[in-house]
Amino acid sequence: MAHSVSSAASPPGSGPTLDRVEDYFVGSFEAMASPCTVLVDGDDRDEAAALVEIAAREARRIEQKFSRYRTDNLIHAINHAAGRPVEVDEETAQLLNYAATCWELSGGLFDITSGVLRRVWKFDGGTHVPGKKAIEKCLAHVGWGRVTWQDRTLSMPVGMEIDLGGIGKEYAVDRTAGLLAAQTTKSFLVNFGGDLFAGGLRRGNRTWGVGIDDPTRTGQAALYRLDIARAGLATSGDARRCVQWRGKRLGHILNPKTGWPVAGAPRSVTVVAPTCLEAGTISTLAYLQGPGARAFLEQQNVQFWIL
Amino acid sequence: MQLEPEGASPTSASTATSTSALRERLSTAALALLLAPAAAMADSAATTQVDYTTLFYGEQSRTQVFEPIVRATRLFGDGQSISAQLGLDVITGASPSGALPSGNVQTMTTPSGRLVTIPAGGIPTTKFEDHRFGLDGEWQKPWGKLVTSTVGFHASREKDYQSLGLNAKLSAELMQKRLTVSVGGGYSDDSVFPTGGTPIGLSDGSEVSNHANAKRVSSVLFGVSRVMTRRWLLALDGTRTFENGYLTEPYKVISLTNPFNGEPTGDVLTDNRPSTRTRSSALLSSVYHLPHDIVYASYRYYWDTWGIRSNTVDLKYRYDLEDDWYLEPHVRFYHQTAADFFTVGLSSFLAPPEFATSDYRLGQLSTITIGTSFAFRFGDNPSLWTLRAEYIRQSGDSSPPSAVGEERNFNLSPTINTFTAVIGYSFNF
Repeated sequence: MAHSVSSAASPPGSGPTLDRVEDYFVGSFEAMASPCTVLVDGDDRDEAAALVEIAAREARRIEQKFSRYRTDNLIHAINHAAGRPVEVDEETAQLLNYAATCWELSGGLFDITSGVLRRVWKFDGGTHVPGKKAIEKCLAHVGWGRVTWQDRTLSMPVGMEIDLGGIGKEYAVDRTAGLLAAQTTKSFLVNFGGDLFAGGLRRGNRTWGVGIDDPTRTGQAALYRLDIARAGLATSGDARRCVQWRGKRLGHILNPKTGWPVAGAPRSVTVVAPTCLEAGTISTLAYLQGPGARAFLEQQNVQFWIL
Repeated sequence: MQLEPEGASPTSASTATSTSALRERLSTAALALLLAPAAAMADSAATTQVDYTTLFYGEQSRTQVFEPIVRATRLFGDGQSISAQLGLDVITGASPSGALPSGNVQTMTTPSGRLVTIPAGGIPTTKFEDHRFGLDGEWQKPWGKLVTSTVGFHASREKDYQSLGLNAKLSAELMQKRLTVSVGGGYSDDSVFPTGGTPIGLSDGSEVSNHANAKRVSSVLFGVSRVMTRRWLLALDGTRTFENGYLTEPYKVISLTNPFNGEPTGDVLTDNRPSTRTRSSALLSSVYHLPHDIVYASYRYYWDTWGIRSNTVDLKYRYDLEDDWYLEPHVRFYHQTAADFFTVGLSSFLAPPEFATSDYRLGQLSTITIGTSFAFRFGDNPSLWTLRAEYIRQSGDSSPPSAVGEERNFNLSPTINTFTAVIGYSFNF
């Protein structure tokens, strides 16, 4: 949930670039409003270019299909169904099933219908906090529990919206990794805006070294470094988008029950798990616990970093 | 500062004593999602979009148009789409007949045989009222990942005109989808059957034939669009249209004038145009995405075998407000030269030329359009509304070189102010 899955005005798709760094290739492109890179171990430039192209296509396919900012996809149709039931395809159904499980496991804290609250909260670093009435008005349109989801058909009351941004990027990372693994035996690393999956040991039994930035000083020296061979990694936090209130800094992750940003949470939570999706979900669920983040993580049997 | 990880290390994870119930369920759910067969991913559910628009068009003390249109588009998961559009135009008002103003009161005959009186100095106009019904359909289908075909038809009918046509287009994406090339063509079989019969060209209009007049229009198009940078799309489109058959405007007339003083003799000749016309255009358009907003710019050059050349510059800027809300100001400049056979009047002393028209639309013309669009929703209602308002200022050559004598005293092409308003409403289900 570290970043939103899409951009408001995504530019026409342009081709990825490919660079040689040491003994691997780095493919770069922009998707889901994030810088994306794919590292491919080895010396075969053509193969690396082909793999990066596959990754860029998959990232854009998922962005196009699940972005809530587009008007030509199923998410738009769902969000503008005006109370009518909408039948969804298999992939969307699987994502909704996953989101429903997360909602249930988090006791309603992880909620893909909470995006409606962003109409009143502006996380631009300013000091504006919405009034009680405005929040209450939004909360009337929040709650997965009000949605009817069965037989691949979703019915939502008028005024409600879903936003798969909280899991979309992590899902795209794992889907892409799956496609790459089916194409090559080379080791690779998929990194979509900081959510990543490492696909195997590099030549000479080396791991991929990943540097995690200090969320308060993006782009400067890595705060911590880890070596991963085959695992997913994701970070949840309020690094850049926040609002100032009574001298406190409130991050952009909202509690769908109160309509307010989660209070007392760490600045950032990084988790390593077998897939990027699990890492992202666990880090988000931990963040949503607020001060209980650490206790939550300690029960999950995962490697994590808290700031 | 370097931090050590907390919790279980990846190596110890597999030998950990117990995994929480939450993690186990999450793992199961994640695997169910990630291992879902890729083949089942291709299809997505079909959706239908309905767009309804109404256009109001009003020329100052001339033509008024009321045009409701409803369009339904069915989008299928495999990229196919089918759309149908039903439109109605209700046109009322008056349009310049082509005859010249005079210092004296003039009497003219309308297409239906009625006599009308035009005050001294007034531009003679023809009153009319018409309804047009139109039906369009389009089917778009992708063939593999790179090629898309589009086929369509149109049918329309009004009191004195009928049009039936077909069109087709093929687009292919090349260079990793950075270049799109399109080729297409269309054919339309039209028929003109003027109210009161078809007058013989450049005659006094008293003799008419009562059969329908055929008009055939075929066209070809070629387009290339290229992604220049991540934010910039540039496109070049060329079209050529071949028209043949009855291309004359049956209700337009040309005044006969006394060559010495320019005064209309009171007699008029009917309009007469060549029976073929080849029209060509080249359009260069650019779309640039700023971080939030979008800038659209285009330039079009048009030329035809009747001697008309035109230049159009069009600029739009889309300010993205919240969600789907946007504001889009728009400005457009248009200029055309007159057709070779355009004349303000014909000398009553000379034999008429082969072709002649006084229709202001074939004369020298400039228009400036200024407008804006605004898209919004009412509260939580999911339907999108769009409003567009435009002001069009059209000016011709008020004292063209072919004007003689008294005609120089009149403004032969007064500036026309036009307002258009469009209300649009769209929803999905």
